[in-house]
Amino acid sequence: MADPALEPTMTAREAIVTALTQVTDVTTLAVIAASAVYGIFVGAIPGLTATMAVALLVPLTFFLSDVQAIAAIVTTVTCSIFAGDIPATLVRIPGTPASAAYASDAYSLTQRGRHLEPLSVSLVFSVIGGLFGTVVLAAAAPQLARLAGEFTSYENFWLYALGLTCAAIVSHDSRLKGALALLVGMLLATVGLGTDYSVPRLTFGSDHLITGINFIPAMIGLFGISEVLRNVLGLSDRDDAGDMRPAVADGAAKGREPGFSVRRLARERWLSILRSSSIGSVIGMLPGAGADIAAWIAYAVSKRLSPNPKEYGSGSLEGIGDATGANNAALGSAWIPALVFGIPGDSVTAIAIGVLLMKNITPGPKIFDTTDNPEQAVLAFAIYAVFIVANLLLIPIGWFAIHGGSLLIRVPRRILLPVIVLFCLIGSYAMNASYFDVWVMLVMGVLGFVLEAFRVPLGPVVLGIILGGELEHRFIQSITKDASAGAFLGSPISVVLASLILLLWVAPSISAMWRKLRERDA
Amino acid sequence: MVAVCCAMVCLTGCNEPSSYPNRPITLICPWGAGGGTDAVSRQIAAHLETELGVPVGVVNATGGKGVTGHNRGFRARPDGYTLTMATLELNMLHWNGLTDLTYHDCIPLMSVNEDYAAVFVHSDAPWETIADLEAAIRANPKTLTASGTASGGAWHLALAGWLISAGLNADDVVWVSSTGAAPSLKELMSGGVDLVCCSLPEAATQMKNGDVRALGVMSPQPVPGFEDVPTFVDAGYDWTLGGWRGLAVPRGTPADVVKTLTNALDRVTSGETTILVGASQVDGEVVRRRQTFPQFMEEQGYDNTRRGPEEFQRLLAERDEQLGALLTSDVMRSVNRDRFNAATFPNALLAAIGAVLVLLVVQRGLRRSGSASESPIENASLRRRSVSRKGVIACTLFVLAIAVYPLAAETVGFVILSAALLGLMLWSLGNRIPTCAAVTLVVVPIAYQFFAGVLRVPLPRGWWGW
Repeated sequence: MADPALEPTMTAREAIVTALTQVTDVTTLAVIAASAVYGIFVGAIPGLTATMAVALLVPLTFFLSDVQAIAAIVTTVTCSIFAGDIPATLVRIPGTPASAAYASDAYSLTQRGRHLEPLSVSLVFSVIGGLFGTVVLAAAAPQLARLAGEFTSYENFWLYALGLTCAAIVSHDSRLKGALALLVGMLLATVGLGTDYSVPRLTFGSDHLITGINFIPAMIGLFGISEVLRNVLGLSDRDDAGDMRPAVADGAAKGREPGFSVRRLARERWLSILRSSSIGSVIGMLPGAGADIAAWIAYAVSKRLSPNPKEYGSGSLEGIGDATGANNAALGSAWIPALVFGIPGDSVTAIAIGVLLMKNITPGPKIFDTTDNPEQAVLAFAIYAVFIVANLLLIPIGWFAIHGGSLLIRVPRRILLPVIVLFCLIGSYAMNASYFDVWVMLVMGVLGFVLEAFRVPLGPVVLGIILGGELEHRFIQSITKDASAGAFLGSPISVVLASLILLLWVAPSISAMWRKLRERDA
Repeated sequence: MVAVCCAMVCLTGCNEPSSYPNRPITLICPWGAGGGTDAVSRQIAAHLETELGVPVGVVNATGGKGVTGHNRGFRARPDGYTLTMATLELNMLHWNGLTDLTYHDCIPLMSVNEDYAAVFVHSDAPWETIADLEAAIRANPKTLTASGTASGGAWHLALAGWLISAGLNADDVVWVSSTGAAPSLKELMSGGVDLVCCSLPEAATQMKNGDVRALGVMSPQPVPGFEDVPTFVDAGYDWTLGGWRGLAVPRGTPADVVKTLTNALDRVTSGETTILVGASQVDGEVVRRRQTFPQFMEEQGYDNTRRGPEEFQRLLAERDEQLGALLTSDVMRSVNRDRFNAATFPNALLAAIGAVLVLLVVQRGLRRSGSASESPIENASLRRRSVSRKGVIACTLFVLAIAVYPLAAETVGFVILSAALLGLMLWSLGNRIPTCAAVTLVVVPIAYQFFAGVLRVPLPRGWWGW
């Protein structure tokens, strides 16, 4: 397939110009700005995911032109994925699942009164990651789509296994406890009536459990309610002054200047920014993976290669930067399979394809063809332009969101905690309008409280719930087709992924051995 | 107290219940956002909103192969404020023993579409016709793989039904379960499976791009918009299966409400309502494009057959009988039996959890006997916790407050209940009563307006419609 975008014919150039004029149109910019604010709000509220934000936008897109509709969707997602970091940092409740990987890191900095640092790092690296993802989308969509097209159930199985490996490896204190958390999550994922079986599992006869454990209320419970309960328990008469811990009250003064942290990090770690954004881009374009898995894998790789892995889990700005860059990079590349095959990379692009079809635009390889479909090509270029505008707009809007949100932690805890509980209640209910989800949140909150008391990390539990079901599903699919080892390692991609997993497990022992050898030599 | 009530009335904007409908309606879609049922549901909701004059919000109650959504919809309060976009699975689930819910538990209003199953192959596949495919299956049974939905799902049943009608065994094609049409088509294109069985509009994009080919569609007549796809009937098989989608309300809904809804749906599906779908500027003038529901369905390639209440009821009875005969027959037993034991994976996980726990205990014992000094850990927020009696009481109260919410919300309603619980939680943490009242009065109405008004979350209403 000749790539017409690479030959700058008159029409291609015209298409780009037309796309730019459409995007920089005043109405379109107004739509983008409104969507950005909306995205920040929805993303910052735990329980409301980027997907839900976009689904709610659909009826409004009927009133918009093609480019405006796409602009609204792209901007909403970009901003809500970043905004998920705000509650994750301030109250340790990830706004969207994509922030779960580094919620503990960011929150432990907040506890030391340094909340502006992780938030600023997160904003800047989100923008860098987002822009990188856009460049990848624009430069290599058809080529990368071909790579994504190679993925069958075997490759997907290895990918999910890699994601789970990463979660076990990043756990902070004890790898055994990380594994325990992961297994608990995976066990929770088996509850209910799965795709592969005709009998429901672990439902104990309950009609409600047949749905399974929804990971959104589970996440709110594990991170949010457990933290609230811990705080309430510790809130004794001495705290009747009601303020947050002393360190937080005059937070900015004690913390380093956030701009300095960001500059230092960006200067020292530009290579790792590229690495994480590339990881995000590659994972984002695989159907079924997406921003949350991208964040986990980037975080694990970052920890493995970092000179100070000890900091990870207790406030590593490096880890936060790498993971948040990856999840935003994944957003752009999720459009690659959507545009090239009409097969969505995540649930957001699934809705976006619906909107495109409604506007009489059929995704496919021809969407980049400026001679055959000038209108569709304009739209493709407009998508790139919108991504860039949305990411740039995120800087000022995100800055306001950070500083507005930071006022939250100045509210006395004895007032803040009950209000958080109220929002957790609505947030867990809002996703599916289900009371059962409220129960899930409560039970998970108590579970999280107990696990934390034994110093078991909570992040892997969430990832276990998200990936456990997928891993089992892909495994069952694969062995239905052909259960031999040859089939599992039948393609170069499978071999590469499987070797990566092996490397991640054995690398620490090898490096320890190497260090010992070197010490002996010296 | 009166002032408090007045303030809340003003802020939440409630009024006395009068004629139906006077508050937001929820439309339950048993399938996920981004799919075909979701698209049709959201379209219907937008049209109903213009017709009925109240917001109609779509809730995706997914999971359990459709059990969850249908149960939620048909076990809701029969007041006409919960509609359900029911699907063919309503005729299947009870035969599989997954729920005791049947079509007798609902009042059918109007079916809006019936998309027939079709069989797709990769564009490079050697088979040109259904007969070619049948010959290939007959020659090498149990070698070809097919996908399209979960095992035992509607499209799986469609394929199995065809195989039986062709005199083959229902399991002569190996069914690879999947979560939907899109991931299955992805597998087909990457060579992971040989066939995909799903509806024509679900694969329209991939057909247009030349990635997949349709060998045939299981409809009585050729499908408009896909005239070049031959039907299975024309190819000589006595087999048709369509997945209908239709709106229904729980049994026990008052007759006048049913009538209002049926009339509204009649106007929507006959194209008498329009919604704005686009605006473009032509020579400086804004051109607005409005679209009716049938136009939408046609453009998207969805079938457009609508059936009124009686006809829909007949369809339900007919399909229930057809699928009941198939699902309870011996030939289908083999298909419905799981290939793998469902308990294996959870059991393995439980065993692994047990092993890790044992290891942790051993490790702890070793550390304790080895050296008394535990490593000093920075993050000692757990350690320096001094548990006061007051803290324990407040903590228990918080847990109870959360537990009360799902139990009482439907009766009491969101505004009153959450105000009460929030006030109680604030008070338990030692805030003075005026502070509690002030925070509650500010937070609850704002939360209500934002979630129910802006985000269309169907927050529960109980006493006095709050």
